[in-house]
Amino acid sequence: MGESRDFRRPVWLILVGPYGLYLALLLVVPAVNIVIYSFLTYSPTKIAVPVLTAANYGKLCDAYYLELFLRTMKLALITTMICALLGFPVAYWLARARPAIASLGLFLLVVPLMVSTVIRVFGWMVILGRNGIINELLAILGLSPVTIMYTETAVVIGLVNIFLPFMVLPTMAAIERIPPSLEEASTNLGANWPQRLVKVILPLSLPGLISGALLVYSVSLSAFITPVLMGGARVRVIGSQIYDQVLVTFNWPGASSLALVVVVVTLLLVFVALRTTRRLARLEVGR
Amino acid sequence: MSGQQPRLLLLVVIFVYAALLAPLVIVLGVSFNPGAGFDFPPKGVSLHWYANFFSKEEFVSAFFKVSLVVGLLTALLATTFGSLAAIGLVRLRFTGREAVEAFFMTPLLVPHILLGAALYLFYARLGMKSSVLTILLAHLVIATPYVIRSVTAGLAGIDPGLEEAAMSLGANRVQAFAKVTLPLVRSSLLSGAIFGFIISFSDINLSLFLSGPGATTLPMQIFSEIQWGGDPTIAAASALQIVTIGMLVLIVQRAFRLRFVV
Repeated sequence: MGESRDFRRPVWLILVGPYGLYLALLLVVPAVNIVIYSFLTYSPTKIAVPVLTAANYGKLCDAYYLELFLRTMKLALITTMICALLGFPVAYWLARARPAIASLGLFLLVVPLMVSTVIRVFGWMVILGRNGIINELLAILGLSPVTIMYTETAVVIGLVNIFLPFMVLPTMAAIERIPPSLEEASTNLGANWPQRLVKVILPLSLPGLISGALLVYSVSLSAFITPVLMGGARVRVIGSQIYDQVLVTFNWPGASSLALVVVVVTLLLVFVALRTTRRLARLEVGR
Repeated sequence: MSGQQPRLLLLVVIFVYAALLAPLVIVLGVSFNPGAGFDFPPKGVSLHWYANFFSKEEFVSAFFKVSLVVGLLTALLATTFGSLAAIGLVRLRFTGREAVEAFFMTPLLVPHILLGAALYLFYARLGMKSSVLTILLAHLVIATPYVIRSVTAGLAGIDPGLEEAAMSLGANRVQAFAKVTLPLVRSSLLSGAIFGFIISFSDINLSLFLSGPGATTLPMQIFSEIQWGGDPTIAAASALQIVTIGMLVLIVQRAFRLRFVV
């Protein structure tokens, strides 16, 4: 029996090697390249001169960048909170629905998630635009039009819409693990639904909710398409800053230092999220 | 259980799904508009903008020569890389296996806009011009983890004892795998391939940096048309993507469990 599990070394390499090598070449090397750029000196004419400096990181403490960080973090935080508020009921409903309905619900959640961000944002532009559906409805009701597009509100609406499934999926997985009998028991003991929610479901689904929240927060931090198309020039975020520095002003050292800071923060958040989910899995085994 | 809670819950659920699906429904509606405005509900039913889509070289090229080609090649190569890796991760016990698995999932964790920027600077250093190849190489990075995830889930449900039984009946390891295990993981392989295609087909954050003259993906073409104002041809192009992806997700759901892939 032991023999069948023990492949000789070459087999190991053939199986795991190709993608491992591929990632080393197209993920690790480009990352190292970014690290190098982030310590080079920016030159408006030659992009980067090989003089080592930490100035690119120092610049990230400027008032301009602090404002950029605060705005991006604020938008991400609001997005995350709305996603939690709206995503939790959907996750609960999906987890407790009959199989046929749950699979339809999952389908209707995954299709929007998979369609390109550009297309979903385009749909929202038609809804919220100056002559959009909302304003046409307001006109029919005799009300004055509202300006939603190119504001922070528009960006949050877009971000919530695009990242909501990231909140629902892990939360749903967590709620599925709560035996319905626990809820029934609490009902039999006289709990009404808000009590059941606060004392039973919420605490037990917390790891799923937390990992969903961290995911939504981290993807919102580096969003680009939504803020650019729905916020315009007025709502600058980290993503648009990096895009401009790479493709417009060619300040590659500046873009690199900014990108590295964002990657480190994102990976830390995701790491915490994964730890939380794993702890959930361990609790599951322990029961 | 109590009757008041389900009604409130259902109300929120309906609201969320309405908001989630609204942009897609509206794009589909606008694409059938006879006029040049983004009217919803459409003022009639016309295929004018679809005809326009197929007569415009930029759109046809973006859809058929770039997005479709890159998507199919990504699916094919990601499935090859990904299923090899998945077999290695599930069936082999080697030191550092967990670290390798975590490493293989990093493309899902790194924000795609940053990956796009990093690859752009990497290609620039190598002097590589943007082409279908540079986009394909980038999409392969982000699509393969989905295949690994899907095939790993498929393999996990299969008893290795089945292969051992085949080998005790005289099959060698490769034969045992090809004749016994492979047919059993066919649906998870298919799901992985389909998701590989979808990830490539709908990507914008990488092609934002890697598209160039002659190598513009469909989402990228839509993005630049939106920025210039555009007409409902954008809606027709978007509708084609929505329908393609909708059908593919349906296939995955029928063939395999959607939950294991997303």
